[in-house]
Amino acid sequence: MTFTRVIAAAALCAALTAPLAAHHSAAMFDDEKVVELNGTIKEMQWTNPHIWIQVVVDNQGQKTEWSVEGGSPNTLSRNGWRSNTFKFGDPVTVRVNPMKDGTAAGQFIGAKFKETGKTIGRWE
Amino acid sequence: MRTALLAAAACAIAIGVAAGQANKPASGELPDWSGVWQMVGPTVFDRASVQPQNGRAGDPGVREFPPLTDEYEAIYRKNIERIKAGTFPDPISVCGVPHGFPRIMNVPDVYEFAVTAAATYVLAENGPGIARIYTDGRKHPPAEELWGTYTGASVGHWEGDTLVFETRGLKESRDNDVIIDRTGLVLSDAARVTTRLRKASDMMLEAVMVIEDAKALKAPWKVTKQYRKMPAGTWAWDYGCAENNRNPISGSGKTLTIGPNGKPLDKNTE
Repeated sequence: MTFTRVIAAAALCAALTAPLAAHHSAAMFDDEKVVELNGTIKEMQWTNPHIWIQVVVDNQGQKTEWSVEGGSPNTLSRNGWRSNTFKFGDPVTVRVNPMKDGTAAGQFIGAKFKETGKTIGRWE
Repeated sequence: MRTALLAAAACAIAIGVAAGQANKPASGELPDWSGVWQMVGPTVFDRASVQPQNGRAGDPGVREFPPLTDEYEAIYRKNIERIKAGTFPDPISVCGVPHGFPRIMNVPDVYEFAVTAAATYVLAENGPGIARIYTDGRKHPPAEELWGTYTGASVGHWEGDTLVFETRGLKESRDNDVIIDRTGLVLSDAARVTTRLRKASDMMLEAVMVIEDAKALKAPWKVTKQYRKMPAGTWAWDYGCAENNRNPISGSGKTLTIGPNGKPLDKNTE
C-alpha cells in the first residue's frame, strides 16, 4: 500500500496513544497499530461530542475518504486547536489508530501540515 | 427578664437558620472555589485499586477491587467479559442521560464549583452534568418520597471549609444504564455516598467519597478524587453531546462509527 504506512512498533504506539476524552467505548480502535494517512482535508467537523476530520487519500487515482475522530472541541480549544485548524484542501499527513475491522476510520493521534511542516497532536 | 433573653436568643438562632447562616463555614465566609478545574488522572474511578496499575477504563481486563458482594462481583465480571467482547457500551454514548453520582466526580474535560450559602453546584462540562448539594438546612426527603435518579439527592453542611454531603436516592443500574466507570462497575439503589469536598491547596480541590451499599458492597469503599485548578481565564464551554454523535449503539451493545454518508462504517453492525 502506497498511501498508508503501518507502523507496528508497539512501544511507539504506547507512547502515542494517551486516552481521548471520548464519550463512548474505544473498543473499535486498534491502539496497538498506527496508520499514517497522506492526503488532503475534505472537512473538519468542529462539533461535540467529538471533532471529525475527513481526509481524502489518493492512491494512484483511487480515492478513499477516511473519518478521523478527535476529542471534544472544548478540550481541544484549551490545547490550542481552533475551528479552522484543518482547512479544506490542506495537504496533510495524519496518524491514527485505525478501526480493528479495517474500515477507513480511526482515532486521531497527530498530524503534520505538509506546506508549513507544523505538527499538531502527538508527533515524534 | 431571663425568659425574655432566652426567647430573643431562640429567635436569633431561628432567623440565622432561615437565612442559611447556620450552614456557613466556621469562618463565616464561603470558601473561594472559583475558576475552572480538571480532574487529575484518567477516568478509572478507584485508581488506588486498579489493576494493572496504569490500566485505562474501558481497556480489556482492567478492573478495580472494591469490596463487592458476591452478587455484584459476578455482575462486574460479566461486564468485564462484555468489555473484552467489545459489547459494553457506555450509557452516556446516546447523549441522553446524565453520568449520575458518583460518576459525575470522575469525568474528563473540566469542572466548575459554584458555592452559595444555600447550595453548592458541581458543574461538569462533560455530559453536561450537574450535582446539586443543598446546604440550606433541609433534610433528605423521606424514603417514600424518593425515587432512584441518576444523580440522587444530596444534602450537606460545612465543617470548617469542608463541604460534607450525603447522596442517596440513586438509580439502580439496570442492564448497565448507569455505571461508575468504563471498567464496568455498577452500584445498587441502596448506595449512599458521603463526600467530603475541600480545597486541599490553592491549586487543588479534593473529594473523599465513602460509598456504602448494603446490596453491592461488603464494607464501606473509600475513593479520593482530585481536581487541579486550570490557568486563570480558562473557559468552560457548552457540550452539546447530541450535536454530531457519530457513535450509535448496535443491538448487541457494540459502539458503531457513522461514516460521511450517514451510514455505519463498521463491517459488522449487529
